[in-house]
Amino acid sequence: MKIMITLITLFALALFSTGVCAQSLEDRMKTLEETLQKQEQGQRSLQETLRKQEQTIDEQRKLIEELKAEIQQNQPSASPKAATGNETEPGGNVRQQVQELKEKVEQVAEAQTKTFPGVFNPAIGLVGETIFGYRGKGKEQTGSDRPGGFDVFQRSIEVVASASVDPFAKAYVVANASADPVTGEAALGIEEAALQTTSLPWNLEVKAGRFFGEFGRLSYIHDHELPVVNRPLVLDQYIGGESRTDGVQLNWLLPLEHYVNLTAGLGNQFGGDIPNPNNAGNFRHISGLNFWSRLSTYFDLTPDISLEPGVSGMWNPKTIDRGGQLLQPDGNSFTERERRLLGADLVLSYKPLRDNQFKSLTWGTEVLYSHNRYDVADASGNALPGRSVDALGLYSYLAYKFDRQWTTGFLFDWVEDAQNKHAQTFAYSPYITWALSHWNQLRLQYTYTDHNAASEASGLRPDHAVYLQWAWIIGSHSHGWQQR
Amino acid sequence: MKSKLFPMILFVMILCLGTMPAHAAKIRVITTLTDLADFSRAVGGNLVEVRSLATGVEDTHGVPMKPSFVPILNRADLIILVGLDCEHAFLPALLEASKNPRIQPNKPGYVDCSKGVTPREVPKSIDHSEGDVHPDGNPHYMLDPVMAKIAISNIYNGLVAFAPQHKAEFTRNRNAYLAKLNTKIAEWEKETRPLRGTKFVSYHEHWPYFAARFGMVYFGTIELKPGVDPTPRHIQELSSSMKASHVPIVVREPQFPEKTPKRIAELTGATLVTLPIMPGGMPHTETYIKMMDYIVHSMVQAKK
Repeated sequence: MKIMITLITLFALALFSTGVCAQSLEDRMKTLEETLQKQEQGQRSLQETLRKQEQTIDEQRKLIEELKAEIQQNQPSASPKAATGNETEPGGNVRQQVQELKEKVEQVAEAQTKTFPGVFNPAIGLVGETIFGYRGKGKEQTGSDRPGGFDVFQRSIEVVASASVDPFAKAYVVANASADPVTGEAALGIEEAALQTTSLPWNLEVKAGRFFGEFGRLSYIHDHELPVVNRPLVLDQYIGGESRTDGVQLNWLLPLEHYVNLTAGLGNQFGGDIPNPNNAGNFRHISGLNFWSRLSTYFDLTPDISLEPGVSGMWNPKTIDRGGQLLQPDGNSFTERERRLLGADLVLSYKPLRDNQFKSLTWGTEVLYSHNRYDVADASGNALPGRSVDALGLYSYLAYKFDRQWTTGFLFDWVEDAQNKHAQTFAYSPYITWALSHWNQLRLQYTYTDHNAASEASGLRPDHAVYLQWAWIIGSHSHGWQQR
Repeated sequence: MKSKLFPMILFVMILCLGTMPAHAAKIRVITTLTDLADFSRAVGGNLVEVRSLATGVEDTHGVPMKPSFVPILNRADLIILVGLDCEHAFLPALLEASKNPRIQPNKPGYVDCSKGVTPREVPKSIDHSEGDVHPDGNPHYMLDPVMAKIAISNIYNGLVAFAPQHKAEFTRNRNAYLAKLNTKIAEWEKETRPLRGTKFVSYHEHWPYFAARFGMVYFGTIELKPGVDPTPRHIQELSSSMKASHVPIVVREPQFPEKTPKRIAELTGATLVTLPIMPGGMPHTETYIKMMDYIVHSMVQAKK
């Protein structure tokens, strides 16, 4: 009985599958027939088109022959005359026009075969940025490297050059000259000089050389491209200005339908301003390098509103020092031995698709957590017990674009000193930006900086400052991914 | 026996599934703007899956660089663009971020629809004193339906190069669409006869190709220079010259604020008309033909 049931079931399945297969075979045959009919129709139509084209070619050939015959009939027996404008024979006019046209074509062809020495030159652009400022307190009370009172200085003159290296990579260089705070002379340095791959598989990209490592949101943005005049305090203090490194960085676009981007890198320093370079001493172990990573994603909350969050980390496991001995208000000195940074960043934007050149609202914020380990020595140089310092800092800005040329905003800064978390600094900066054009921009910003009592032990005092930033661009300028 | 029954049934079912016709994967086409998306759907038919980065309401130079475009571009088989530097503000960075080597410039998957277009207004000097100039000429040729046929031809060539086995179907689709478009072109040329010689201004220099095609005179722009907003002096000078030359129409593209075009229209007695620059830019303009119908009809009405 069981065998019978099994056989019947199998037979039914076979019939069903045969039916389905037969049905599907029928469908396939029908589809094939339809395709064949369509192809036959297409072929007939193609043949008709071909026939018409051949007819057109014949007609044009006849016309060319007739024109040639006409030209030959009208050809003068004497040597060719210069055009006088009095020729009445139409063939002569036509011949003259054809001759002029031929000469022009030959000139153009000849011009195109010329080569120029600079034909392989990179795209070059130049950025200038001047800061006019007034600070109520001197630099000893503000901790700034610029003097208090009235000040004007060329914060940067940047030359940017970029080009393809070969089918596999491109390269770029950013050379920057900025006014030395003491001498006023322009000190030229290479901010970035890196090679970037363009055709690696598996959504990978490698960048190597000198560049700004990808940490957070604003640390790898150049000064003149920041949404505010000065880099937020927490980035200046915990990273050291821009996240400049000499190293290598790998970027991976995860193979998902949703945008998720992962970056990881290593380099011999992280942070561009002195006293940031890591001291390698006689021999740099791998623990003397800096390692960083960032994971970011993106959400379209509505067609006009977007959210882009990210998390970042940086670790320098072991160094001889970073910036030498750091003198403290109590007379002791700290020498940094290990450095850790964790960051979370968020950008929430409202950019209406229709009006995004004229209207937008952007909120950007970053919170950084610093954990550094220091060797401590007293004023006489005697070693004291080492110390780990945990510190927090953040910036948050709101930028409201109400016209193509005008943006107004506000920046809030708060940072605990990386060597003394009890010393805190706050800053409040309203600003307004006037972009006369895409390449010419003025920004007026007022900043009130406040310190708490622990911070004032370092000699820092609350301060009022006004800045006018004027930035301009000439030459080649591309809209990079960072400007999204 | 029971334990053997289930595997046998499963085996037979798998056999049947194996004989069912497989679904062919569609060609993933990404276009920068909506008119190209419309043409790509028309030529590609059921063989393509088309997505436009722009929705139609954006300024062509202001399409945002959204990270959500990156995975879409990463998977694309073809990127179809207007060319002539029209997309310089967003496409190069997006292509780099996409990490898709197939669609990078000069690769087979990079379809530049301006190939074969003779550009207008090629600048004699490439200098920012002339604003945001396009070094290769004015890129807004898609507003001339005859020039748009060149774009259709380039899309067709791109699709055929990618999938030559479907050439016959692409050819049929292209010919069918061109036949429809040619009929509409003839209608538009007839409908715009009263507009011949009519002068007009617009906010941005979107319209020289349209003007040349339909015999209108493109008098100038409200922008001081491309990408540079008008100064009060420019508005005054433009209004004076419009009055002196009897310019009856002010065109405002909906991406630009209404205030200045409206003021100029009031100062000069001209008619203000709002016109889309790509399909979807305004209601009832979802396709290229509908958009051109709207533009032509609105211009004719504005002249009356």
